[in-house]
Amino acid sequence: MNVDWQSLAETDSGLLLGLGVVAVGLVVGYLVGRVSNRFLRAIGVPAAVEGTSFERTAQSLGTSTVALFSRLLSWFIYGVSILLAFQTARLFHTTVLWARLSAFIPDLFFALFTLAAGFVVGDKAELTVSERLRGLKIRDVSAIPRAAKYTVVYVALLIALSQIGVATGALLILLVTYAAAVIVFAALALRDTLPAAVAGYYLLLQEPYGIGDTVQIGDHRGVVQEVGVFVTRIEGDDGEYIVPNHLVFREGVVRIRD
Amino acid sequence: MPSVRDLAEDLVSDVDALLVFSPSSSYYERCADLDIDVIAVDVENTVGAAQFVELPLSFDDVQERIRFGIEGAIDNGLIEDGDEVACAAAVFDSEVDAVVRVRASESLRTGVYGLFVDSRADASVIRDVLEVAIELGKKGQKGKSVGALFVVGDAGKVMNKSRALSYNPFEKSHVHVGDPIVTVMLKEFSRLDGAFVISDSGKIVSAYRYLEPAAEGVEIPKGLGARHMAAGAITRDTNAIAIALSESDGLVRAFKGGELVLELDPEAY
Repeated sequence: MNVDWQSLAETDSGLLLGLGVVAVGLVVGYLVGRVSNRFLRAIGVPAAVEGTSFERTAQSLGTSTVALFSRLLSWFIYGVSILLAFQTARLFHTTVLWARLSAFIPDLFFALFTLAAGFVVGDKAELTVSERLRGLKIRDVSAIPRAAKYTVVYVALLIALSQIGVATGALLILLVTYAAAVIVFAALALRDTLPAAVAGYYLLLQEPYGIGDTVQIGDHRGVVQEVGVFVTRIEGDDGEYIVPNHLVFREGVVRIRD
Repeated sequence: MPSVRDLAEDLVSDVDALLVFSPSSSYYERCADLDIDVIAVDVENTVGAAQFVELPLSFDDVQERIRFGIEGAIDNGLIEDGDEVACAAAVFDSEVDAVVRVRASESLRTGVYGLFVDSRADASVIRDVLEVAIELGKKGQKGKSVGALFVVGDAGKVMNKSRALSYNPFEKSHVHVGDPIVTVMLKEFSRLDGAFVISDSGKIVSAYRYLEPAAEGVEIPKGLGARHMAAGAITRDTNAIAIALSESDGLVRAFKGGELVLELDPEAY
């Protein structure tokens, strides 16, 4: 009988090592899951995601966003440890496949993670914007929060796809076009309000005139009632003038002392 | 044989509208099927009612609450002068437990609704100032009762009708009445005499102002002191409203147009 003791011992120790790696992976994965759960709770994620549709879906499935994320993290570590174990145990000799797979799995995980985070952040953005706009009772105003949500989700999707190596060139061009359109639109829309706001900050910080002073701005003369970021309210004899702050700068102010 | 049900029926027979105060959504849904006008009255329109009157603060006194609701409903054109209305409100509990029948008429008007809605300053600012005054009245300064006077709105004119008693601690500051730190700050500053001047948008413009309005023809109840007289007079002379916390009896009173329109006991809130 000619048993190859040496190689058997090698396989055995490899197997043992592999099992050890799996065991460590299980413990570490569990602990990381627990810690990340605690951490996410401590930084106030549950309150932040409250009311988003992602959280609601998670709730209806008997879990929560935080639990889902920390479990995803645990699974990732389990998966990596099992992969590592296979490699150390050398159970298979198709090393090329394994090498590619073990390189791909983290990417896939991060892609999933980004996508999930994108959905949560997108939901949150939608919620925040719609809360801001709730006072406005305009038809079709609901399109804006939805646009905010899908923008975030789209960007997350792009990141996720490029993470797993899918060609995203065309999608990227679409994003750039969209962003450019938004920027041009914002630039046009804010052409008057932005200078007013900048001037308003100067007026608020330096207070060249305050509430109760009598001033003249352009043709408007009266008592200052209010200085805001965008406008200054001046009450004259025949009405209250609401003067945009950039006009205050352009026209200058006459303070009238008596 | 008359039953309790008949007595209750007298209360609600032939009413023109039903005012429900702070209803839960299930209660409101039950009311919505009725064949008369149902008007929800609450601090916030949580039930999504089509006919709604907003309460500026959750009046503890049911009479005040109903008065405000009816005044608001008349003002918004939801009910008319002379209408008989039934009011369902919560008196002891958070659930509706009482029905009151009232004839909506001018005599119910106390000007509380106008104080919030028709003033220059934002209703939310007036509410914040009232809350600060109530808070001050409840706790006082180190156990001793304090007095305070807040003049809200039309700040430019008020500043011109008053003079500084001391350096203005709010100079070049941007403190608003809704800010969380304000109660503590105002408590400290209320130790010195003088009025706080607050702008339409809630910015605290100045403290320690000595008000110099013309006080002719101001009718306030006898027995109130100089602070209340100044409060009444400044609201007659300008478009501001004034909220005074009495040092002697601890009550919070609001003035508008030279008249006392609201009297609240801070202990009840």
